[in-house]
Amino acid sequence: MPDRVVMCIGTKKGLFVAEAPKSRGKFALRGPFGSGVAVYASLIDTRGKPRLYASSCNPFFGMKILRSTDLGKTFKETKSAPAFPQEDGRALANIWSLEAGDSKNDLWCGVEPASLFRSKDGGDSWEMVEGINNHDHARKWQPGNGGLCLHTILREGDRVHLGISTGGHYLSEDGGRNFSASNQGVGAGFAPDPYPEFGQCVHKIAGHKDAPGRLYMQNHGGWAEWDGPGGPRPDIGVLRSDDHGHSWRSIARGLPSDFGFPIVVHPHDADTVYVVPLEPMTRTCPGGAPAVWRSENGGSSWGRLVRGLPKKESFFTVLRDAMDIDELKSPALYFGTTTGQIWIGREGGEKWDCLFDSLPPINCVKVAVV
Amino acid sequence: MARAMTVTIYVPAALRAYSGGASELFLPAQSVRALLEQIERSHPALHRCVCDETGAVRRHINLFVNSSHVRDLQGLDTALVPGDVLTILPAVSGGSACRTE
Repeated sequence: MPDRVVMCIGTKKGLFVAEAPKSRGKFALRGPFGSGVAVYASLIDTRGKPRLYASSCNPFFGMKILRSTDLGKTFKETKSAPAFPQEDGRALANIWSLEAGDSKNDLWCGVEPASLFRSKDGGDSWEMVEGINNHDHARKWQPGNGGLCLHTILREGDRVHLGISTGGHYLSEDGGRNFSASNQGVGAGFAPDPYPEFGQCVHKIAGHKDAPGRLYMQNHGGWAEWDGPGGPRPDIGVLRSDDHGHSWRSIARGLPSDFGFPIVVHPHDADTVYVVPLEPMTRTCPGGAPAVWRSENGGSSWGRLVRGLPKKESFFTVLRDAMDIDELKSPALYFGTTTGQIWIGREGGEKWDCLFDSLPPINCVKVAVV
Repeated sequence: MARAMTVTIYVPAALRAYSGGASELFLPAQSVRALLEQIERSHPALHRCVCDETGAVRRHINLFVNSSHVRDLQGLDTALVPGDVLTILPAVSGGSACRTE
């Protein structure tokens, strides 16, 4: 019977693991693991005995994957990390996403430069997914501010959705063998053509198991005032698809900014979705007053969740993987900031408390009930 | 193999988990490139920390032959003779090396 909430916190200086009883009264903190090395991706794999994974992205000595089989009390490196074949010519620069696959030991991993790898043995060996890595577009993608990263891997049956910055949304409908750019309605602000076939700076994509075909996307918005070639692109930043990602439409109206990084769906209600709008130029909380915004009708309207959050003088950023939600009956939302704070929003984000306020800058937050 | 026939590789503390705890390795090689190939065969995990999968020395790793940086010699083609010392050193870097968004 799951009775604990476990949170992996990937920071600029290593991985922390926080654990609390289901009441979520007090979280105990362990770590840092992989001390001093940035962690951009983590996974709490709840298939069978829980296993925790984290990328350890060492700019000196290369990329590693850490694995824990004791709920984050200890971590060991897996036998290998993803690597390009020597003849490919590309070299791994970062590990941005780790996701569970079908079978118990099946893992997917998104990396920089944007590519996808798969492990069948729990991360000890990896093979490149040719259908995206050698896609005709792959050598034409351009890096965004965070590098050219494959940061989102979302699976629904044989469909595999990938988010690439800046490549856009790619969709496979045959289990990951073949991929196509699937960006109809996804705008780009940094190219003369506002709706290119590919090359969008997708920030994050989220779905819901009870709503097949429904997807939400946080795209790189903030182009409403653009007066150059192609004209202004209002509201391209927050989008929804109802046809498995074949086409997308804006749901950004009503938000203070359509720029942001994470997007999270309520575990028990596919119509409830959360974003953290940021000022597009500074990428910080608008007006220095952080707020999570929630839609309870699939993006038709939005409301501001601020109870307990600072009302002023807070200029942090919440990065693309730094927000998650647990799956308890009344779920809590969690986000980490570039200023090293972890916030918990109990009752679905109605009431916020700061759990930790002096961690290193936070890249990613993952939560599970185990 | 007699040490008189080998080159000494100095392994920094941060990488000794990949050299079986050894601070020094002794391998025969006539060039830096050949020495790295020897390391790849004998200590593949250590090699992955020094070189990326294209075979290039990682950007923040410096290699010295005795007291000279290999970039000031003949790079990976720098000749080695028995008794030389190859020192692996992480670069001294300030600020952030990784991007975040």
